[in-house]
Amino acid sequence: MTIKTSNEPFLTRLKESEQDTFMQKAVAKAQDAQWDKRTAARNELGHWEQWRDLGEQIRQHVIRYLPDYLEEFADNIEKHGGHVFFAKTDKEASDFIKHLAEEKQVHHVVKSKSMVTTEIDLDKELLKIPGLSLLETDLAEFILQEDDWDEPTHIVFPTLHKNRDQIRTIFQKLGYTGDNDPQHLARFARTYLRASFLKADMGITGCNFGVADSGLINLVTNEGNADLVMAIPKTQVVVMGMERLVPSLKEAEVLDNMLARSAVGQKLTSYCSFSTRQVSGESDGPEDFYVVIVDNGRSNALGTPFEPVLQCIRCGACLNVCPVYRHIGGHGYGSIYPGPIGAVLSPVLRGYEQFGDLPFASSLCGACTETCPVRIPLHELLIKHRQVMMNKLHTDKSFNNVIMKGIGVATSTPAMFRMALTADHVAMAPLTKHAPITVENEYPEGIIRKAPSMAKGWTDVRDLPEMPKHSENFRSWFKQHHKEQEAKQDD
Amino acid sequence: MTEREAFLEGLAKKAGRPRHQLKDHPLVPVNDLPETTLADKSPAELAALAKTNSEAVHVTYQTTTTKDLPAALDAFIQAKAAKTLLLPTTDAYQRFGLEDWRQQVQPTPTYWVPGAGREANLKAAASAEAAIGFADFLLAESGTITAATTPGQGRAFHFLPTHYLAVIPASRIVARSRQAADWYDREIKAGRLQTSNINFITGPSNSGDIEMVLIVGVHGPLDMTYLVVEDQ
Amino acid sequence: MKVVIFSTCIVDLFFPNVGKAMVEVLERFGCDTEMPVKQICCGQPTFNSGYVKETQPVFRNQIDALLSIDADYIVGPAGSCVNMLREFQVQLKDDPEYAEKAKQVAAKTWEFSQFLYRVLGVLDAGAELDATATYHRSCHMTRLLGERTSPFVLLDHVKDLKMVPLPHIENCCGFGGLFSVKEPEISKQMVDEKVDDVISTGASVLISADPACLMNIAGRFNRRGEKIKIMHIAEVLNHNVDPSRVKYVPEAERDELYAGGYNQGFTQSDVKKEVGA
Repeated sequence: MTIKTSNEPFLTRLKESEQDTFMQKAVAKAQDAQWDKRTAARNELGHWEQWRDLGEQIRQHVIRYLPDYLEEFADNIEKHGGHVFFAKTDKEASDFIKHLAEEKQVHHVVKSKSMVTTEIDLDKELLKIPGLSLLETDLAEFILQEDDWDEPTHIVFPTLHKNRDQIRTIFQKLGYTGDNDPQHLARFARTYLRASFLKADMGITGCNFGVADSGLINLVTNEGNADLVMAIPKTQVVVMGMERLVPSLKEAEVLDNMLARSAVGQKLTSYCSFSTRQVSGESDGPEDFYVVIVDNGRSNALGTPFEPVLQCIRCGACLNVCPVYRHIGGHGYGSIYPGPIGAVLSPVLRGYEQFGDLPFASSLCGACTETCPVRIPLHELLIKHRQVMMNKLHTDKSFNNVIMKGIGVATSTPAMFRMALTADHVAMAPLTKHAPITVENEYPEGIIRKAPSMAKGWTDVRDLPEMPKHSENFRSWFKQHHKEQEAKQDD
Repeated sequence: MTEREAFLEGLAKKAGRPRHQLKDHPLVPVNDLPETTLADKSPAELAALAKTNSEAVHVTYQTTTTKDLPAALDAFIQAKAAKTLLLPTTDAYQRFGLEDWRQQVQPTPTYWVPGAGREANLKAAASAEAAIGFADFLLAESGTITAATTPGQGRAFHFLPTHYLAVIPASRIVARSRQAADWYDREIKAGRLQTSNINFITGPSNSGDIEMVLIVGVHGPLDMTYLVVEDQ
Repeated sequence: MKVVIFSTCIVDLFFPNVGKAMVEVLERFGCDTEMPVKQICCGQPTFNSGYVKETQPVFRNQIDALLSIDADYIVGPAGSCVNMLREFQVQLKDDPEYAEKAKQVAAKTWEFSQFLYRVLGVLDAGAELDATATYHRSCHMTRLLGERTSPFVLLDHVKDLKMVPLPHIENCCGFGGLFSVKEPEISKQMVDEKVDDVISTGASVLISADPACLMNIAGRFNRRGEKIKIMHIAEVLNHNVDPSRVKYVPEAERDELYAGGYNQGFTQSDVKKEVGA
């Protein structure tokens, strides 16, 4: 899978999401539950807004001095006998790892959940090697893999769209004979995956944060699978987005706390590890240690107003508060990065041709900006994307573009606006006559049920109030009212 | 130019900022919340917090004294009906007065042995029904134990056994992850600690991946016990 | 005290009763109201659609119009539009001619309910409404303007009015300006959930401080043939008023209230100093 998860047009994806009522209910339920957990965890910590200041500062500082931090980080990995590969593109990254697997004659790869390996389509590339088997070991990713590589729908809860019966059916193909109890399903996965861990000769992980001043890789999970991936195989490959660094253990610790509270409402995740290549005397952990640092479009944000998107720590809180994500789910976005962060990040990574629809799929309600632990101004960046696209459209003669520019002129030209207010909108009258009105105090002048042009999108879904006659609008009333007030004062 | 140089130069060019400015602009944190949070708690208050927060993450939290420690460990093994037991190779037995205990404990323990190699140690851990390990710290705020990997207590020691108990001296209960991170940072940089891995472990492994239902015990141990030794 | 009415294009175009109610309430509490005729719109329709450059003249026209009358305050009936007025100072910070003016506008602009509560110190506006109602909190008023208290305090003091909490009050109603027009497929699902949530409260009246959200929710209610009465908070506070019921916040608490309503946490005198008023 690459960043793009679907070739269907946006509207088709929306229709499909709308029909997936299980997904919608599951997302809404998850959002509601997470809302309470997250809020409680942040309140319990106290001074949340100041913690956000600190989180933002750490991330901004790293992005500002990114080449310096990368240099320091890479030096420290190499000092411990590890290897670092800088990959400009997805292909460079996956080719490097594929060649490594071939060279080392790897038979069995275990992976822990990593968005960036999904981004570079690593699983598919590795599976091209004859005789190589590969297993995702995060429970959700394992389920998706065994369901013929189904798309993840959330960056923290990838299988939010699947119910226990579907998961049971998937596991039955692997020999599961039990019921649909999640506990029983998970025990089966534990046994199945444990066997696989013990024979693995290459482990692949992502990286939550790379610690620049020590070269340690910081990984957090609740299942403990990443730790087994780092403990058992002789070779470990870490794949990381180039921006995911912190200066030292101190900042990693700060962000781990904020990540856990924001992502799952926990104080810390069950496992939070800092590791590197095995040192002398130790028995497990990787003897061969590789870190692949991936750009793959991230640098498009550098030096632009979109730079703050690189602050992201992938907590998924913005997905969990987004009312649009609530209804269209991850698949609606058509990107492995859905939700508000996805709507900002996907066009940065891959451009407007592929993801130009996403910045418009937001009501700009600001819930994302409000919840972001590192203060990414997400809804403002959505407007920025719209601005860039509209500037490109500058010479565009499309109907809506002309209308929008017209609105710009009309709302800055008092005379034109007054003309609009003086018109008595009789043209609309025939459309309004027979429509029933059940809502009180909203439609003194009647309703419009079918409006033309741009307002069609409105009346496709809801009724529009008819405008009052000029003599009855607010401005006319106010003028009259003022005259009366003055007359009173004169008396 | 090396590939790495080309990559980093490319980033600096795109950002429009010169490289090698960090030395003169180190990060100076905007606040000291990581240090000040819970800083006003007494050792007794921290111990009480540690208990509450550990139990909140499904940990069995117990306290004992050095004198009663052997009995407490025996009780754990019995409660789990463990037929195989994994122990680390460490000088902690001496400190905790466990030298005699480990000579006679039942079932006869297998050890994570320095130099025994990957395969042997992993096999021992994977077949252990119970493991008793020694933790460096217990974090009051989150109910977290921390342990740096040593030749005698490897990474998988904490993950492969089915039931897990950590022995923690009460003096090592600290407020938050900050205090532990600071200690590791200092010890590593001073060369006093050689390790490739530090684990912060907060309760047994779990997952909400199936319909957001909490499942305790996924890849790591199915349950965890923290045993705090009050006079240590 | 003199108050300039920021009428908002939505009230100008659709909802005269909201404007009337706001003016009548303000005058009841001693404000002289004025309405500069050259004002039009806060600019959100084009700005939020990405037509940032095209919106600059809209900002400038609005600033010129609102400052054309020397008033103590600018008060508007829509949290979202009021927030945009305060945002002008950010958008125009590099404009040599308008940066200062935009600051002045921001410093004296208030949303209607927060002006009543935080500036005038009104606790009980003296209104009565015998009904069960629920309140829709607009996203921009809550998150961007930062006003989470004033409407609730004022509504809690309306005689005979029973307020019921709205489930999922934190979620957007699906209006989002031109979002509702451009993405009707998504907007419909959002507003449908909002309608369902309002119905679930059993309330007969839906109140808000943002007429655009109300237009959206009401429009979906009516299309679905469901019954509800829509009231802007100004209409509620102007309903069956008995002046003898009016109550004010104690003088000692006013400064704190005022500071809480202004994003930067300034007190009234700080703000006056800042803009040289």
